[in-house]
Amino acid sequence: MFGQGLLKGLEITWGRMLGKKQTVKYPFEKIEMFPRFHGRFQLDVDKCIACGLCANACPNKVIQMEKQKVDNKQYLTKYVMRIEYCLFCGLCVESCNKDALKFSSVIDMNQYRREWVRLTLVDRPAPESKKTPEEAPAETAKEQAAAGKAAPGKEG
Amino acid sequence: MKTQTYYLNLGPQHPSTHGVFRIILELDGETVVKATPVPGYLHRGIEKLAEARTYTQVIPYTDRMDYLAAMLMNWGYVKAVEDLMGVEVPERAEYIRVIVGELSRIASHMIATGAYGADIGALTAFTYTFRDREYVLDLLEMVSGSRMTFSYFRVGGVAEDLPEEFYPAVKKFLAELPGMCDEYDGLITGNEIFQARTKHVGIIPPEVGINYSLSGPTLRGSGVNYDLRKVRPYSVYDRFDFDVPLGKNGDCFDRFRIRIEEMRQSGRIIQQALEQMPDGPIQAKVPKVIKPPVGDAYAEIESSKGVYGCYVVSDGSPKPYRVHFRRPSFINLGYLGKLCEGWKIADVVAILGSIDIVLGEVDC
Ligand code: SF4
Ligand code: SF4
Repeated sequence: MFGQGLLKGLEITWGRMLGKKQTVKYPFEKIEMFPRFHGRFQLDVDKCIACGLCANACPNKVIQMEKQKVDNKQYLTKYVMRIEYCLFCGLCVESCNKDALKFSSVIDMNQYRREWVRLTLVDRPAPESKKTPEEAPAETAKEQAAAGKAAPGKEG
Repeated sequence: MKTQTYYLNLGPQHPSTHGVFRIILELDGETVVKATPVPGYLHRGIEKLAEARTYTQVIPYTDRMDYLAAMLMNWGYVKAVEDLMGVEVPERAEYIRVIVGELSRIASHMIATGAYGADIGALTAFTYTFRDREYVLDLLEMVSGSRMTFSYFRVGGVAEDLPEEFYPAVKKFLAELPGMCDEYDGLITGNEIFQARTKHVGIIPPEVGINYSLSGPTLRGSGVNYDLRKVRPYSVYDRFDFDVPLGKNGDCFDRFRIRIEEMRQSGRIIQQALEQMPDGPIQAKVPKVIKPPVGDAYAEIESSKGVYGCYVVSDGSPKPYRVHFRRPSFINLGYLGKLCEGWKIADVVAILGSIDIVLGEVDC
């Protein structure tokens, strides 16, 4: 009989109308991300040995880092990710064998301007050789990294 | 009375072209006299970009071809590199590849099904398939961390093992999958208006399909039994019991219908793969810097759109000398111009949708 298929379709949509809601009201309600989710990057500065493996693994030259030699040790002074070119492929995180670079579950990285997207994970002066205690600058940088500050630190 | 044909430009920005695709239609009234497809609006030069990347770094770019079934795009490329290097992939990795690959195929077919419904005017169906696709993407996100561009495959295996939470979630999904397919069948396939729009429209005769080198559901809709997973099994596909759904008439309806059937079959494959999956390593022993010997290799897999091939030439350096992708959507489009001739404008939308192209892959 012609129209049977149409009725079947209506039956499905009517049945669904009383079913469970499938969406969440996004900015007010958020869903939890899976542990492996590729969100905003996190850098543990204390673990990072400034080896540059992550920067080399990146297909798009997203990671720009600067380092200085202090007392025979490499000291990371700058670590900037040009997120606007990032593919979120995870090759950098995978290549870090010190477990310093990681993904977090932060998803809202959107900004109004391209340059604001840039992620400065470390930006600190190198300590002076020997005399200055190393802890102090490392501490502030760690805080910055934990906060995952975007370059101008301003939203909108 | 003297009449004259005229030109109508469809696309590149038109919802029914599934992306930035353009067709120039020469029309006589409403009837198509000539159709000229104009691809290239999404061309990013992935093949050229690959020449400036190391072998591993090419993987994220393959995601961006068929972004609706990115796992399968990864697969073809890594398989070609593995063939070139003579790497033996561990069994567990092969099973994981099959599972995520088939999930990707399901996600892609869900889009094809829903978007085709929307093309014909059944917009409700679109929301249903997209709702269910989210479940598949959830599963793939658990595994790879991303929802569309996974970059999950590595030369010699996969990036990480399946997480614990994946197993119960995929079981739940597999249990629901037949019900989902029934829903699509009830909403779209059985709908008389839909059938009137698609049955006996845009018929591809089997021998023409073969001559034009079509593949995937587009070819199988014409009744040609050609599925690489069966005719030339790669990976571990020879260990699974599944059917290849075939069409009879080669019309839009058949091409649409077998995608839903393929989803059911993919569900069966995943089920068997989960049962048979052995323990073991997920990554073969591959040097950190991948430097295949001088030579070339070509590998093919059955992607959701058809036969996806990848040709890699190595000059012994850490970067590929040349990479070429055989993209099924692009080749399936080859017959579109001829296929549209003689049909009405509204049928052009139905015909284009039934081929299921994805522009990232067409333009590469
Ligand atoms: S995720 Fe990929 S593209 Fe982004 S910084 Fe890491 S390696 Fe580069
Ligand atoms: S984040 Fe890891 S890979 Fe990158 S420089 Fe630091 S230690 Fe090396």
